[in-house]
Amino acid sequence: MKRIKSMTAKRAYPRSYANPVLTLAVAFLMLAATGSARAELLIRITEGANAAIPVAVVPFAESGIMPAGDKIGSIVRSDLTMSGQFNLLAPEKMLSLPSQRSDVYFRDWRMLGQRYLLVGQVSREGDQLRARYELFDVNREQRILGETASAPASRARSLGHHISDKVYEAITGEPGVFSTRLAYVTVAGQGEDIRYRLQVSDVDGKRSKVRLESGEPILSPAWSPDGKKLAYVSFETGKPVIFVHELATGERRKVADFRGLNSAPAWSPDGKSLLMTLSRDGNAEVYKMELASGDLTRLTDHWAIDTEGSWDHSGRGIFFTSDRSGGPQIYHMERLGGEARRITFGGRYNARPRPDANGEYVYYVHQREGEFVIARTHLDNGQESIVTRTGADESPSLSPNGRLLIYATEQDGDSVLSVVSTEGGAAYSLPAAEGEVRDPAWGPITR
Amino acid sequence: MTGHERESISTGTAPWLSGVAFSVILHGLIAVLALVGWSWSGSTPPEPQPNAISARLVSPEPKPSPVVEEQDREEQRQKERERQEAERQRQQEEQARREAERQAEAQKQREAERQRQEAQAKERAEQKAREEEAARKKAEAEAKERERRRQEEERKRQEEARRKAEEEKRRQEEQRRKEEAERKRQAEEEAERKRREAERRLREQQLEALAEKQEQEAREAERRRREAEAARAREAQMLSESQKYQGLIRERLSQAWYPPSSATEDMTARLQITLLPTGELASVKLVNSSGNTAFDNSALGAVRSLSRYPVPDNRDTFERYFRQFTIEFNPERLR
Repeated sequence: MKRIKSMTAKRAYPRSYANPVLTLAVAFLMLAATGSARAELLIRITEGANAAIPVAVVPFAESGIMPAGDKIGSIVRSDLTMSGQFNLLAPEKMLSLPSQRSDVYFRDWRMLGQRYLLVGQVSREGDQLRARYELFDVNREQRILGETASAPASRARSLGHHISDKVYEAITGEPGVFSTRLAYVTVAGQGEDIRYRLQVSDVDGKRSKVRLESGEPILSPAWSPDGKKLAYVSFETGKPVIFVHELATGERRKVADFRGLNSAPAWSPDGKSLLMTLSRDGNAEVYKMELASGDLTRLTDHWAIDTEGSWDHSGRGIFFTSDRSGGPQIYHMERLGGEARRITFGGRYNARPRPDANGEYVYYVHQREGEFVIARTHLDNGQESIVTRTGADESPSLSPNGRLLIYATEQDGDSVLSVVSTEGGAAYSLPAAEGEVRDPAWGPITR
Repeated sequence: MTGHERESISTGTAPWLSGVAFSVILHGLIAVLALVGWSWSGSTPPEPQPNAISARLVSPEPKPSPVVEEQDREEQRQKERERQEAERQRQQEEQARREAERQAEAQKQREAERQRQEAQAKERAEQKAREEEAARKKAEAEAKERERRRQEEERKRQEEARRKAEEEKRRQEEQRRKEEAERKRQAEEEAERKRREAERRLREQQLEALAEKQEQEAREAERRRREAEAARAREAQMLSESQKYQGLIRERLSQAWYPPSSATEDMTARLQITLLPTGELASVKLVNSSGNTAFDNSALGAVRSLSRYPVPDNRDTFERYFRQFTIEFNPERLR
C-alpha cells in the first residue's frame, strides 16, 4: 500500500509560531489586494482543534438472529474509540437513531456538534450477515462512504473491524488497523506445569488463538510482511532456535539452529530474508539470512554484543542494539556493512529498537530512574521523548499506520499488553487471562 | 521746451529793442527831471514824508468863552436891543423903496414882454400855416410812398412767403431726408449694436460657459480628490476592521478544524467561500485540493460547521473583504 508521509496532526500546533507568519501573509495579501476592484482576502488556518473528532456511531438496526455478543455497531464503536482519534457520542445523547439516510436530520447532529455520522443496518440471510452502512459528513450533509458488506455469521467481528477500517480511513485518510492481528506470548503456571503459549488475536484482544504451546520459553514473535507467517525463538529443543511458522497450516520450520545463540528474528520488507542475532562466531552479532537458501551475511562485527536488528523504513539499513559503549544503546547502519551511528544518548539503557514506517522516529525501551519506559528519538533532530510511563514497559511494537503502540507492562501487579496512541492519546489494555503476557507483535495490514 | 524757445527768441530781439527803448526812456526821464527840478525850485520843498504813518487821535481844543459879571451883561443886553431896533427900522425903509423900484421896473418889463409875445404869436401863426401846408404835401407824398412801399413790401412779403414756403418745404424735405437717413443710420446702428451685443453676449456666454466649465471641472476635481481621500480613509478603516474579523474567523475555524491524522505540513487545501451579509455561508468551493481527501473533507467540514461567520456590520467592509474570500488550511508546526 502506498503510504503518504504522515505526520502527527492531532498535536497542537504552537500559536506563537503560526501567528507572525500568518500576519505577514495576510498583510502581504492585503497589500497586493489594495487597488484591485475586489480584494481577495485570504485567511490561513495553520492549527486545528487539539481534540478528537466528534463522531456519532448510531447503533446499527438489526433484523434476524444476531450472533451473541457480537453486535456490529458495538464492535465499530469500540474500535473507533480505541483508535484514540475520535470522540464518540454516547447513544443516550442521540436525538434519534436513524439507520438510513432518509431518517437522518442533519440539523440535529450538527446541533450536537458532530462531524461525522455513521448509520447502518445488519440483516441475517441464512448463514451470512449483511451490513449496509453509510458515513455522513454532518456539516456538508454529504455521504462520504456507503457500502454493503457481508460475512459469515461466525465472522461478525471481522465484519465489524472491516467497517471500522473503512470509516477510519474515510475520516483520517489513513488505513485503519482494526482488522490486523496481534501475536504475543503468554506464560501460565509454574515449575513443571509452566506453559508458554504463542497466541494470535484481533487487535482488541478478542478471538485469541493459541498457535504454539510449549513447556519451554517462546520469545520474540515477528510477523512476516504478508501476515501469513510468524518467526519466533523457541527453547523447545533446550536451546534458542528460530522457527518460521505458517499460520494457515500450522507448519513450522527451523531456520536458525546454530551453535550458541539464535535470537531476535526480524523480517525484511520483501519477506525473503530474516535478520537475526547469532553467536555462532563467538560473539553475538547481527546477521541476515536468505530464507530460500539459508545463506548468511554478517552485518555487524564488534567485540561487544550487537543484537535486535530491525530494518529501517527504507529497507536498506538497519537499527540494532549494541553495548559497545558500555551499556545497551541504539545504533543505525544506513547501508548494510556501513558505519554504525549511535542514535540514543539519553540514559544507560536503550534497547529493542522499533523504527516507524515513515522514518520519523525509532521507538525503544528506555531505562529512566530505575524504571523501564518506552521512548522514541526523532531521527532528524535526535530529540528524545517519553511515550509511556507505566514503569515496567518492554517489547514495544508499532501498529502498521504508526498511530498506535503496543507494549508489555504491568498494571496493579498484573501483566498486561497496553495500547497507546503514539501522540499520547487514548490507551487501552489487553489483560492476560492468567499469568503473564509478553512480547506483543503488531501484525501487518492484509487485504 | 517752448519756454526755452521763447527765451531764445527774446534774447535774440533784445539788443535793438532795448536800445530804442533805452533812448526813449532816457529822453523821457530827462524831460521829467527838468520839469520836476523846476517845480522843485519854484515851490517850497514839502515836508519829508515820514516813512511810517503815525495816526494820533486829538480832541479839539475847547473854544474860550468870555467870563463877565451878571450885572454888566444885563446892561449890555439893553443897549444891544435898542441898537437892533434902529437897525431894523432902517432896513424896513430901505426895503420899501427897493420894492417900489422893482415894481415899476416889472411893469415896464411886462409891457415889453406883451408886445414881444404878440409879435411872436403872429409869427408863429404864419409859420404854422406854412408848416401845415408843407406837412400836408409831405403827408400826401408819404402816403403815396407808403402805399408803394406797402405794395412793394406786400409783394416782397408774398415773394418771401413763397420763398419761405419753398424753403420750408425744402427744409422739411431735407429734414425728412435727414430724419430718414438718421433713422436708417440709427436702424443700422441699432442693428450693428444689436449684432455686436449679440456677439458680445455670445462671447460672454461662451466665456461664461468656459468659466463655468472650468469651475465645474475644478469642483469635480476637488470632489474627486475629497472622495479619493475619503475612500482612502474608509479603506484604511475597512482594512483595520477587516483584520479584526479575519482574526475572529481564523480563531473560529481553528477551533472547528479537526485535521486528520494523515495531515502533513506540505498539505494545503484552499477553499473559496461566499458569505451572506448575515454571516451565513452561501457556498464553499474547493479550489485547491491538498491531494488528501480526508484533509480536504476536514477543511470543508470546518468551513461548513460554522453556523454563522463573524462578519462586520459595515456593508462596504463586508462586500470588500468578506463577500467572497479564500481560506487556506495548512498545518504548520515548530520542528
